[in-house]
Amino acid sequence: MIGGLFIYNHKGEVLISRVYRDDIGRNAVDAFRVNVIHARQQVRSPVTNIARTSFFHVKRSNIWLAAVTKQNVNAAMVFEFLYKMCDVMTAYFGKISEENIKNNFVLIYELLDEILDFGYPQNSETGALKTFITQQGIKSQPQTKEEQSQITSQVTGQIGWRREGIKYRRNELFLDVLESVNLLMSPQGQVLSAHVSGRVVMKSYLSGMPECKFGMNDKIVIDKQGKAGASDEAGKSSGKQSIAIDDCTFHQCVRLSKFDSERSISFIPPDGEYELMRYRTTKDIILPFRVIPLVREVGRTKLEVKVVIKSNFKPSLLAQKIEVRIPTPLNTSGVQVICMKGKAKYKASENAIVWKIKRMAGMKESQISAEIELLPTNDKKKWARPPISMNFEVPFAPSGLKVRYLKVFESKLNYSDHDVIKWVRYIGRSGIYETRC
Amino acid sequence: MPYLGCEETVKELKRALSNPNIQADRLRYRSYITRVIRSMTQGLDVSALFMDMVKASATVDVVQKKLVYLYMCTYASHKPDLALLAINTLRKDCADPNPMVRGLALRNMCNFRMPGITEYIQQPILTGLRDKASYVRRVAVLGCAKMHSLRPSTEIDPSIVNELYALLRDPDPVVMVNCLRALEEILREEGGVVINKPIAHHLLNRLKDLDSWAQSEVLIFLMRYRPRGDDELFDVLSLLDEFLQSVHTPVMAATLRLFLRLAAAHPAVQADALLRARGPLLAACGSASRELRFAGLCHVQQVLRSQPALYSGQYKRFFCGYSEPGYIKLRKMEILVELVNDENVVLVLEELKSYCTDVSPELAQAAIAAIGHIGRTYTEKCLDILTGLLALQQEHVTSAVIRTFRDLVWFCPQSIGAVCRAVEVCGENPQDTEGKQALLWLLGMHGEQISSAPYVLEGFIDGIKAELSSAVKTELLTAALKLFLCRPAETQDMLGRLLHYCIDEESDMCVRDRALLYYRLLQCGVDEARKILLGPESDPSMTVLAGRPEEPVGCWASGFNTLGPLAGADAHPDAPPADSSAQHCHSTEEEVVSKPPCQACPESAGAAEGPRNTGDSQEEPGLTLGPPLSHEAFERLWVELRVLHRQTLGFPPPAAPPETLQAVLQLVKVQALAFSRCEARPWKAYVCARAGSTLVLAELLHGDPAVPDSQDALLLSVKQRPENLQAIRGFVSVLHNALQTLSSDRT
Repeated sequence: MIGGLFIYNHKGEVLISRVYRDDIGRNAVDAFRVNVIHARQQVRSPVTNIARTSFFHVKRSNIWLAAVTKQNVNAAMVFEFLYKMCDVMTAYFGKISEENIKNNFVLIYELLDEILDFGYPQNSETGALKTFITQQGIKSQPQTKEEQSQITSQVTGQIGWRREGIKYRRNELFLDVLESVNLLMSPQGQVLSAHVSGRVVMKSYLSGMPECKFGMNDKIVIDKQGKAGASDEAGKSSGKQSIAIDDCTFHQCVRLSKFDSERSISFIPPDGEYELMRYRTTKDIILPFRVIPLVREVGRTKLEVKVVIKSNFKPSLLAQKIEVRIPTPLNTSGVQVICMKGKAKYKASENAIVWKIKRMAGMKESQISAEIELLPTNDKKKWARPPISMNFEVPFAPSGLKVRYLKVFESKLNYSDHDVIKWVRYIGRSGIYETRC
Repeated sequence: MPYLGCEETVKELKRALSNPNIQADRLRYRSYITRVIRSMTQGLDVSALFMDMVKASATVDVVQKKLVYLYMCTYASHKPDLALLAINTLRKDCADPNPMVRGLALRNMCNFRMPGITEYIQQPILTGLRDKASYVRRVAVLGCAKMHSLRPSTEIDPSIVNELYALLRDPDPVVMVNCLRALEEILREEGGVVINKPIAHHLLNRLKDLDSWAQSEVLIFLMRYRPRGDDELFDVLSLLDEFLQSVHTPVMAATLRLFLRLAAAHPAVQADALLRARGPLLAACGSASRELRFAGLCHVQQVLRSQPALYSGQYKRFFCGYSEPGYIKLRKMEILVELVNDENVVLVLEELKSYCTDVSPELAQAAIAAIGHIGRTYTEKCLDILTGLLALQQEHVTSAVIRTFRDLVWFCPQSIGAVCRAVEVCGENPQDTEGKQALLWLLGMHGEQISSAPYVLEGFIDGIKAELSSAVKTELLTAALKLFLCRPAETQDMLGRLLHYCIDEESDMCVRDRALLYYRLLQCGVDEARKILLGPESDPSMTVLAGRPEEPVGCWASGFNTLGPLAGADAHPDAPPADSSAQHCHSTEEEVVSKPPCQACPESAGAAEGPRNTGDSQEEPGLTLGPPLSHEAFERLWVELRVLHRQTLGFPPPAAPPETLQAVLQLVKVQALAFSRCEARPWKAYVCARAGSTLVLAELLHGDPAVPDSQDALLLSVKQRPENLQAIRGFVSVLHNALQTLSSDRT
């Protein structure tokens, strides 16, 4: 149960304050500001206890969202609620920024009113919420009969995430496999830890109440089919790579019982954009880039750094937005950089050399060498050598996940699987991709 | 004082709102209302406009209605008489054909905070409960709870309660959950909503239809239900099974908690549930958002308390990323320490070593402390790393290493030599109070083996005038005196100076008194001083106490998935722990200690009556195991109580390995808390048992030079609460027999 919700800007000024329960006093708003936002030291924990009141906060750019409660609640749930709140706000007015919040404060109050009642979460699906929210000119007229009946069916229907009677002239489905690959590598090139956390995001514009079935190269399914099918089919499927998924979670629309028994993912999709599943893999990850660092200290006032990056995927694919960040010591006085590809710059304010490459094909390598001049200091502290981090975007899924099929069935309306236009896209991004040097 | 022109603004708004031209133009009228709300959020007092806003509420425009309701809810308590005017409009809206308007009006009417409102809202709420739109029913159900919270002292209306119980069968899932929530609040005094068998099964079957918030709340409500018999229990568990792998971390955690609670009598089921929840918990630990990651880590820590081996294969998941916030890194380090085993120790130490150079001193010190902790088991490897860290010559690192050395030496006497060599070559002294104290302690305790000890100490004594901390000064006094006892020639002069300064010039009474005490002690003679000052150099038996054994799941299951695990013991040193669960946890432990374990062992109740009723009947109350005692509770009690009984057992300690010893004691229903290793001297063991209604604690001691009785036979000291000599007699004879059997086995 959430007693109240506050939104602050980076200075700690209250932008939104909504109190649901009487046990949250007026001073709670200030207590959080004084103890957390204005506290000098780093944030010690996302949960703060002040005078027997718990404050849960998350930060989005420089906006603080804080939920307050006096009860012993389930922390993970409150955080999920705050994320959901952020998602809903983003869906309504884009990026969460001070300006956007100030411009949309009436809308936010309206949202808060619908999402929480007396501190209890009521409804948080963006699609379903749209029916109740009147701001932004979505519904400025008194409602028509049709809309009224929609609300009734919406709120009485068993399927909370989809309303009935949706119609599209063109039935379309967009499927994005978004992955972020995380890596921690030792200077010797040994993988210390690597995992991919991926999301399958769908945008569905389908009429009626369609039933969808989604298939991917999940190892368990492929193995099962291989055993059940004929021998030649087994040979075919073994040619395709399958992946072992460590754990996965689904949108509430997916029938979990079916997934448990047959590992098939079937569901009635919500309308519009939603996240179908989230998964993690840790085995057989394709690491799109290898970073090979070489740091040499020449005397006390000079450092020589050479970094080679190698792209490790099909030559026909192009990686984009590559950025390598090479940290430099605090007492750096000057840097000379030579790189064969892209642009590199020393950013004194960030204590790093930032090397940007717009595009890079697979199976290529590129290198940068830098000479760093250091100011002599009498500080005996050794430089801690933070890891070299990397950002990039590649057009494939580093986990190896492939979408095998996505079938749509709608029994009542007369359109079939073939009439649906489907789009599939893979995007692999870097999460925390670090190599120690 | 927010805005200077505040009165002007209010006047202007008032003029605009009452202007008939503006009233006619709907959009302009609404934009003025928006301005009123904006001023309200900025902290301006716009309550003077209440009358105009009430007028504005009579409209068909839903947007305008919402805005006005928001305004009214804020100011209704300031202007109760005017708010009554608005009630009429609201009641009319409650009968609107549009379910959204009905719901909206009802919700806002319930949100008014003013005396006497209940009589106006009761009827609409009752009508709302039977509304055909579930949106209105949702609002009405929570309205009942709001009405109750407005007048908490009034009697509970049984008809509303019955109506709410009936609505648990509502087709709309949110209505159902809202009913639970409302009943819980209304019936709080009576212990909350009652979950009987039909309700529990209904909830279990509906669980799938609910959204994640509702699911996790329902799972918490289900904790109240106790299935009758194993068959029903397993039915319930198999229904819950799929939620253990749920999408949402909170739902998964809530299910796990319910599992642990329901299967409290089936440890195998609990272990299985923990195993299957491992994947989702690890997923939470690797989640993209740091707050969820933090919550996941805290919960893994809880699981580790009873199943440390469960995650040891996954130790790499707990390596820290460079950009992670400090609170996550700290937790990860704590977990890594728990996960260490023979296979991964090298890699884990390597990893922790790299954290020791972290930019944040706090994290670096935590990493060093973590290495020290591992050092209690893998002494040599850790000593190498710690010694290597001294070469960094960074102040905070040195200080943390010295502190770690002090603890290590106390636990593992075999490390004394290496530590002394390391301290010897360490060029820099720590500058903070804690570090200084640790260094002084080491110098005093092991001064014989550190050749430079007198010089270092001299440095401290010369700088004593600049020293601010009295704790450091006291430690310095003790160290100097101890060093004097083993190396008198080098130390005599400086000890004299130190005592002189402390007695004559020191203003802190504690330091001065300590100096006087030592001075007089020395007057009594060196031998006397030695006898008093030199204690044992280390206590290896502490290792066994410190090495935390696996706790039963029940210890932490009650606090799982609440705020308890997140708060941590040291997370907020300055803030009082606000969550009741942590305290609750604590108090249950107290209860276990202080109360006779009635439910756990029914025969003990009879035994408790026994001695009192039958006076001198010779029947000895039998020993019972009962719920195990935690180490902290044991330590606390041991310090608190006095020795009631002491005797020598007449034979040396059994040479059997600790596991055998533990198994044998288990057989005779004695809980073994800690043992020294077989060949250690002095050999110590701590055991406890429940006899009837009392708790018996005992220490076995052998070969302690300080206690002559223990030289060649075991010495048994017994403490008890509450006192019952008969129980002690029984306990001693049981223990005597068990140990004698073991000892004679050997010969």
